[in-house]
Amino acid sequence: MKALCEAAVEAALGAGADYADARAVSRRSQRVETKNGRVDALSDSESEGIGVRVLLGGAWGFACDRRISVEGAREAARRACDFASAAPGAHARALAPADPQTGSYRTPVSRDPFAVPLEEKVELCLRAEEALTSPDVTVRSAFVRARRELRLFVSSDGASLEQELVECGGGIDAVATRDGLYQLRSYPSAHGGSSAQAGWEYVEALGLAEEAPRVAEQAAALLRADRCPAGQTTVVVDAEQMQLQVHESVGHPTELDRIYGTEAAYAGTSFLGPDDLGTLRYGSEHMNVTADPTTPLGLGSYGFDDEGVPAQRQPIVRDGVLRGLLTSRETAARIGSGSGGSMRADGWSRMPLVRMSNLHLEPGQGSFEELLDGIDSGIYLETNKSWSIDDKRLNFQFGTQIAWEIRNGQLGRMLRDATYTGVTPVFWGSLERVAGPETWRMHGLTNCGKGQPGQFAHVSHGASPARFRDVQVGVST
Amino acid sequence: MSASELAERVLELARGRGELEVVVQRERSSLARFAASEVHQPTLVDDTVVQLTILREGRTGSASTNGTGDEHLARLVERAATAAASGTPEQGLGLTPPAPLPDVAGFDEATAALSAGDLAELAGAAIGGTGDLDAYGFVTSGDCELVVRSSAGVEAAQRFTDVTVLSIAAGAGVSGYATRSSWASGDVDPAAVGRESAEKAQRTSDAADLEPASYRAVLEPYALGELLQWFAYSAFNGLAFAEERGYLAGRLGDRVFDPKVSIADDALDPRGLPKAFDFEGTPKARVPLVEEGVARGVAWDRVTAARAGVRSTGHALPLSSRSFGPLPLALSVAPGEAASIDELVELVGDGVYVTRLHYLGVVDPREGILTGMTRDGTFRIRDGKVAEPLVNLRFTVSVPELLSEVPGLTREVALVNQSDFYDERYPFGALVPALATARFAVTGTGSGPGL
Repeated sequence: MKALCEAAVEAALGAGADYADARAVSRRSQRVETKNGRVDALSDSESEGIGVRVLLGGAWGFACDRRISVEGAREAARRACDFASAAPGAHARALAPADPQTGSYRTPVSRDPFAVPLEEKVELCLRAEEALTSPDVTVRSAFVRARRELRLFVSSDGASLEQELVECGGGIDAVATRDGLYQLRSYPSAHGGSSAQAGWEYVEALGLAEEAPRVAEQAAALLRADRCPAGQTTVVVDAEQMQLQVHESVGHPTELDRIYGTEAAYAGTSFLGPDDLGTLRYGSEHMNVTADPTTPLGLGSYGFDDEGVPAQRQPIVRDGVLRGLLTSRETAARIGSGSGGSMRADGWSRMPLVRMSNLHLEPGQGSFEELLDGIDSGIYLETNKSWSIDDKRLNFQFGTQIAWEIRNGQLGRMLRDATYTGVTPVFWGSLERVAGPETWRMHGLTNCGKGQPGQFAHVSHGASPARFRDVQVGVST
Repeated sequence: MSASELAERVLELARGRGELEVVVQRERSSLARFAASEVHQPTLVDDTVVQLTILREGRTGSASTNGTGDEHLARLVERAATAAASGTPEQGLGLTPPAPLPDVAGFDEATAALSAGDLAELAGAAIGGTGDLDAYGFVTSGDCELVVRSSAGVEAAQRFTDVTVLSIAAGAGVSGYATRSSWASGDVDPAAVGRESAEKAQRTSDAADLEPASYRAVLEPYALGELLQWFAYSAFNGLAFAEERGYLAGRLGDRVFDPKVSIADDALDPRGLPKAFDFEGTPKARVPLVEEGVARGVAWDRVTAARAGVRSTGHALPLSSRSFGPLPLALSVAPGEAASIDELVELVGDGVYVTRLHYLGVVDPREGILTGMTRDGTFRIRDGKVAEPLVNLRFTVSVPELLSEVPGLTREVALVNQSDFYDERYPFGALVPALATARFAVTGTGSGPGL
């Protein structure tokens, strides 16, 4: 496949491209889902092809071909050049310099997830799901997944890279219904469990069956819980919901392509400007966020991004001040600093975009109990249920699967249908405390959407529970 | 090898492994995405995906590949057979029986023949339409084929085209939105889309704040289409219905909306993006969902229907999305009596005017509660006329409540594209009028128009 990439780059340069890169990707994905004691889905998919990106006369072109052949590679290069030649507009795109990289990167794996028999995967799901059995739980479901992706990258700058990324994960959901009420509890995370770049040992360590009784019990208990009251109060947000909060209100706004408006037609833009770097107060002094594609087990980990730039750990917010942005070589050139490193494409048939890799809220100090200390009255929010945020990533409204009242520093009655809303810098400005490293958890999600045509990115976020004051909760119609 | 020949080849290779269903999706598409009036992300895709599902002794397994050589197909058969052998047995599922397919429109030679250069030209026209304002959006066209063949005798094949132009015209503190879709490129005028977005944008400067409260409102087709798409995910989904998490569960036969509201799924309508069958080969038909405000039905696929003891309505999704449940991907809202949107604005009198929505989320599927933001053209309505522009509004609405009192709908309906083109291309959209509602719950405010 490396020879195909080289042929594509050569063909693109021959057709007049000033710069070209080619990515050949071979991906295999497997998924097992069980529901109420039976296998609901069992699928195994393969996809391979080559994507060729060219810069010609300052205009981008990108074309792809599923054929793993020299003919397909050259054809894609030619089509990409044809489009770039015809692209409307006055183009003056440039790339930040990057040292040409050669090398490889592989996910460390103890047990290859594709060597695990399907029967074992089915059994694991059925066992976990069986443990969700409870009188009011009407839908029990479990799933496991695995993906292996081989990526080869060659650029006209001299980069030649090979990466093999292996990931797997799983999760369980319990749906409880009664008298027209519907409640959901999930583990280890909502909206597709949690995945990591790792071997099957990650899935085994999730302890799906062990956690299931608690998940089922809480789903059933929510049917009898009071609705979260409305008002302004102190909230403690659990590690998992904090991960979503970081993703939506820090990750996306700090993508420099959004700041420049290139995502305006779909996901939106950002309240940040390029000049805010180094000066904008994003939140309180307790806020520290780091982008780190080198995180072990991180679903967004890589050796090199899809422009061939080496993975690098980067502070995004330090002591509440904006210190970094997620960039590509093109956007880095526009702000005149950095070399990119955050470009990722979904498979072979999509153009790379500025994406999050692994983005973490750094831990503070103290235990969860210490986080509750001193709160006379508040709400503890756990596990995302719904999310929405405006196009500039300012006004957000999130719902959680479960909540508890906090009274005099202790958790009290369970609450259902909790929501909270805020405006990004105001909310982060009200951050009073982040719990310590022992409470820090990381989950990997597979449904981060961006781009047209749409692309899914797999990213991880780590966070500890955190405390915010004066937050509006209990939004109703 | 054609898509049908490819499906036949897989059936041959897998013969004797059990009951077989093969789905082939072929895509040749182009998407020219632009920002700041320049194309910055062009994507030209050429792909063919083959999916094989094997049912053996009540166990089901599936596999897919985009390799079409015999070695790829042989591996596909082995992987599907291994998957099928690992399943749990379930009786009564069976394959879709063969049935006559409806004749539908949906393919246009001129659209299929669009080259990369043609697409660049169309993008240039859309960009030119925004005049002095910068253009953000895309032009896309696709030439796709869907084939379903099975050992039960299903032989379904359809080639369809689609084209969409979307434009946000934006400048400092202003932005406006417009989009058009069709299965024939000749029906879409990119420059007109650009102009419409610019005209809207020019009215959005100096946007005012708004106090959160329930307002009367006019929703343009763009806004109503997106709201119903998100509501439909659970409300009209047979799986969500069966699992009692959709709004219509336990409410069939009840009056759920204003009598002026009728909603069907109609993939046969040539004004939409017509389809003759679903991903299991079940023929498409018009399926009433809500008639004159009364809940009538939901969408089913083969498996969810079998388990519920009803018949498939032809709403199976692609295999990769099947666990989501069957969805109506051709929503069609019956028109009303209003001759224009201006007439709806008069009916509302005092309220808000919403062009489009952004980033919806399902707060409570059982009660049909959604949240999201308005964007790129939100205005106050005063004295029966569109008045000053507003900042983007956060709304948190119960869709049944929003549709419980509908002063009117327009006579004209628009096709609103509802595909974001993830995974393999399968264009779909809704036919919707503009609608006036007496209840639109604004629960907060966000940023202003513009970038």
